[in-house]
Amino acid sequence: MPFVAGCDVGSLTSKAVIMKNGKIVADAIIKSRARPGDSAEEVMGEVLGRANLTQKDMVYCIGTGYGRDKISFVDESVSEISCHGKGARWLLPSVETVIDIGGQDCKTMKIDADGNVGRFAANDKCASGTGRFLEVMARVLHVGMDELGKLTARSRSPITLASTCTVWAQADVIKYINSGVPIEDIGAGINTAMAARVAILVNAVKPSGDILMTGGVAKNIGVVSTLEKLLGMKIKKARKADPQMAGAIGAALLAAHKADTGERR
Amino acid sequence: MDVFYEAATRVDCRPIMEWKNSGRPVVGYTCSYTPAEIFYAAGILPVRLRGIETDGMEVGDTYFGPFICSFPKCILQLAGKGKFSFLDGAIITPGCDGMRRLDECWRKAGEDYEGIVPDYFYYFDVPHKSENHGMDWYLEELRLLVKSIEDHFHVEITDEKLLNAIAVFNKGRRLLRELEDLRSKDDVVVSGTDAFAAAVAGTVMPREEYTRYLEGWLSDLKERKASFSDGKKRIMVVGSVSDEIDLFELIEARKTAVVVAENLCFGIRYEGNEIPETGDPMASLAAHYLGGSVCPRMFGKYKERLQMLKERILRSGADGLIMQNIRFCDLHGAENALFERDLEALGIPCLRVEREYGPHIDAGRMRLRIGAFLERLSVAGKPAGGVQRRTA
Repeated sequence: MPFVAGCDVGSLTSKAVIMKNGKIVADAIIKSRARPGDSAEEVMGEVLGRANLTQKDMVYCIGTGYGRDKISFVDESVSEISCHGKGARWLLPSVETVIDIGGQDCKTMKIDADGNVGRFAANDKCASGTGRFLEVMARVLHVGMDELGKLTARSRSPITLASTCTVWAQADVIKYINSGVPIEDIGAGINTAMAARVAILVNAVKPSGDILMTGGVAKNIGVVSTLEKLLGMKIKKARKADPQMAGAIGAALLAAHKADTGERR
Repeated sequence: MDVFYEAATRVDCRPIMEWKNSGRPVVGYTCSYTPAEIFYAAGILPVRLRGIETDGMEVGDTYFGPFICSFPKCILQLAGKGKFSFLDGAIITPGCDGMRRLDECWRKAGEDYEGIVPDYFYYFDVPHKSENHGMDWYLEELRLLVKSIEDHFHVEITDEKLLNAIAVFNKGRRLLRELEDLRSKDDVVVSGTDAFAAAVAGTVMPREEYTRYLEGWLSDLKERKASFSDGKKRIMVVGSVSDEIDLFELIEARKTAVVVAENLCFGIRYEGNEIPETGDPMASLAAHYLGGSVCPRMFGKYKERLQMLKERILRSGADGLIMQNIRFCDLHGAENALFERDLEALGIPCLRVEREYGPHIDAGRMRLRIGAFLERLSVAGKPAGGVQRRTA
């Protein structure tokens, strides 16, 4: 079985995975550059270096993410929605509903036993409910992304944001900081606002079965726990690999399928 | 086809300007519930007002504010920039509340931008129900509109002229029906983008000229052997007002889909529904335009619209529906959600997206969603359940 690769160029981070026989050989993640092509080159160079392989060793490579059409070395590009479906099923074989929260998009989807996407919903032209929202808020609070997630558990009286618009919410948060509200209450309010926005999209696809979160926000325990409360359902944890890598993993799995069906280069 | 594309993508397209330069009046209208036949009967060119070629929103934002559909805002933007200076008149209709507000916003903007309100500026009211007094009310509104046009433009609109106008427009309807039939065949010989451009062109071109071009184009299409549908998924586009060729190009650019039908304000929606060419023309126009209930602006007709959509899906053999609504479009936003619920339950895949109106706006976001939807269709095969392909 030859090597295959998936390269997911997102708006905040870029990820690459090399797989063989359905297992990860190496992976890499970097902060995205201004140009998607540059991000792809860098993250692919990184993962190839870790695996001690070259691009020529890849029999098939699929690109995904918002910058997927700007990646020069891939054989084809596939939407991140399809890739996250495949990747989620590999991360957790029992999953039926996937929540993927990326840097500038939030998508929810139902998948079948093969990880093929059925009904899906995505946020519409607004940063609320995306990783960018959390990133902006963490910066205002002067905390790291991981720490922001942990604030929910420490909060005794979460604030309520008047708006989930990133710009207005930022003004709200600054007002609370200036009023001396404890940072954990502000952080919990931010995570709740985020979870509430995402819950609308989850309900839009009528969630059922095991639910898995992918994308960087899956690592925010405050958002995940609040979302569980709002949905009244448990959200499973991916233990096989970093959930942020799901898109790249899915792309590599699709590449493996192409290689298996003879579409190798 | 070039004539159609030019008419579909330029506000001041050649056919309109030629008409204008010959000294004949041009009147713009905003809603498909306005009978264009009345203007034709008066020797006036009826032109559907559109927001294409908008490259800013400072005028639209100033008078409308931010929380409203971008379609009427784009129209006001163009008006504020003098792009509708060729208009001798404009008819504003409450197709929805956003379009209704175009009346007062345009008038208000006219206080600040000299000369942007045409001499003839008329608010044409349309009821939201067709039953009982609704039809009587609409008929009365039509009579008032006729009287107003006659008084302002010093013309006489007789029943004879109206019946002639109906006959001329019916010919176009029959041709569009033929185009729809061609798109419904297993081998589709025309791209959805071309078909939509042809339909949009019909909303601005002088009727005889349009019909002539459409007739010639259709006879060429009937001779065509090349198929646009080989190995592609058949898509139907529905939802908010859209006259943007870009949207269709975006769907068909992936070479995995062909748009075989649409249920849009600007697309082919009335085809086949001809208006009687004898009898009382005003009553016939009222029955046709208000009685159709094809737009969610009409109250209490969801079941009829769902049934119509199902029939069109069957006829066109659509594998999936792309339902779009412009942000803040409550009518189509709500109705698309209901359509999605009911059609998905029948095994018909649906994509529901919210977007802004305007050329190239949201192209990246739309590309992702459309791409993922087409990937979904590629593994889903033919829809199951309620859909059986019917040969056209």
